[in-house]
Amino acid sequence: MARRRRPRPPNRLALHASARDVFVCGIVSIVAFLFQSSIVVRAAQVLVFAMLATYAGKRIRWGYFVMIVSSITLFNLLTPLGRVMLEVGPVTITSGALEQGVFKGLAIAGLVFISLFAVRPDLKLPGSFGGLVARVFYYFEIVLESRQRIRATALVSSIDDALLEIYPGFDGDAAPAGRAAPAGGAGPAPRLVTTTDAIGAIMLGTVAAANTVLAIVF
Amino acid sequence: MRTDTRERRLDLVAFMGALCLFFSTLEYLFPKPVPFFRLGLANIPVLLALELFSPGYVLLLVALKVVGQGLVNGTLASYVFLFSAAGSIASALVMLAVHRAGRRWISLVGVSLFGSLASNVVQISLSVTFIFGSTAWVIAPAFLGIGVASGLVVGVFAKRFAERSRWFARMKEAIGGA
Repeated sequence: MARRRRPRPPNRLALHASARDVFVCGIVSIVAFLFQSSIVVRAAQVLVFAMLATYAGKRIRWGYFVMIVSSITLFNLLTPLGRVMLEVGPVTITSGALEQGVFKGLAIAGLVFISLFAVRPDLKLPGSFGGLVARVFYYFEIVLESRQRIRATALVSSIDDALLEIYPGFDGDAAPAGRAAPAGGAGPAPRLVTTTDAIGAIMLGTVAAANTVLAIVF
Repeated sequence: MRTDTRERRLDLVAFMGALCLFFSTLEYLFPKPVPFFRLGLANIPVLLALELFSPGYVLLLVALKVVGQGLVNGTLASYVFLFSAAGSIASALVMLAVHRAGRRWISLVGVSLFGSLASNVVQISLSVTFIFGSTAWVIAPAFLGIGVASGLVVGVFAKRFAERSRWFARMKEAIGGA
């Protein structure tokens, strides 16, 4: 019933750029992307964002995105707009509805691709909430370590046993017995860089500048 | 002493946030009958939290779940995050209300069902408004049907776990319950 997942490819972008800088680049790209009014340029941007997401170690499910764009276009075609291009029985395909549907579909796909390359788990959020998120990731790694012990045939009891071992309760102090959770700021993935090097700066700068220029020109 | 109790609760909330992420990754192991289908296994810790925490901590857990999933899946800066946040918050508010108002008559299965429906209604409304247009209401019944099925599955599991788990009983005792 269950299928085994293939190992995720490495995040090569993370070897050159910090999580914060990549995130800032992503935010600039989102704003510039949303201001883009040319459908051809937007399609090209979507492809570039998909390449960046792949470079960042994300596996793109193309079938899923083709289906998303197609279904958004299809639902838009149901409301005729502009010149009639084709009539197939009761269905009328209009140029305005088609263009609007594809444009909207590309926007959705592009935003997801930007997010895929711009957001990674070691992105530190500020404040006490950010500290709690770091603590969630600390525990998440511990929980993941014990996933092999969970059996489909005895789901409740095997999960219960694992939880009793990972988080047995409190020994008088606030931290759970046996483990001391970090107060905050502990990020996973120690091999990822925390500062952006020259290659990373050139890459991120090019992406942000190119998208901004395209938004102004087109 | 009060600080200790608060810190214990925050720590347990963070741990349950990690469980949400864990269940969320488990979900990827199951084949999807339709592309948009989600079982909502990550809601299991939220359902259990209703029995453990006051509403503020439950909402904090939901916020951690949504942000954590956004960071793990890389969707934090996309529409997926907004949909997930809106659905999760609506679901949590409805579940809190149903759990508080009908604690004697409605089990975790019923609470889960209400939560799942709330999440689906909000997400369908958002997708109709911002993505697909009003013609997409035709698919709403199918999505609500899927929501009922997944809400039942998640609710039955959460109820069974709450009844049988020694860990859950221990946590309830340690922090005093909701």
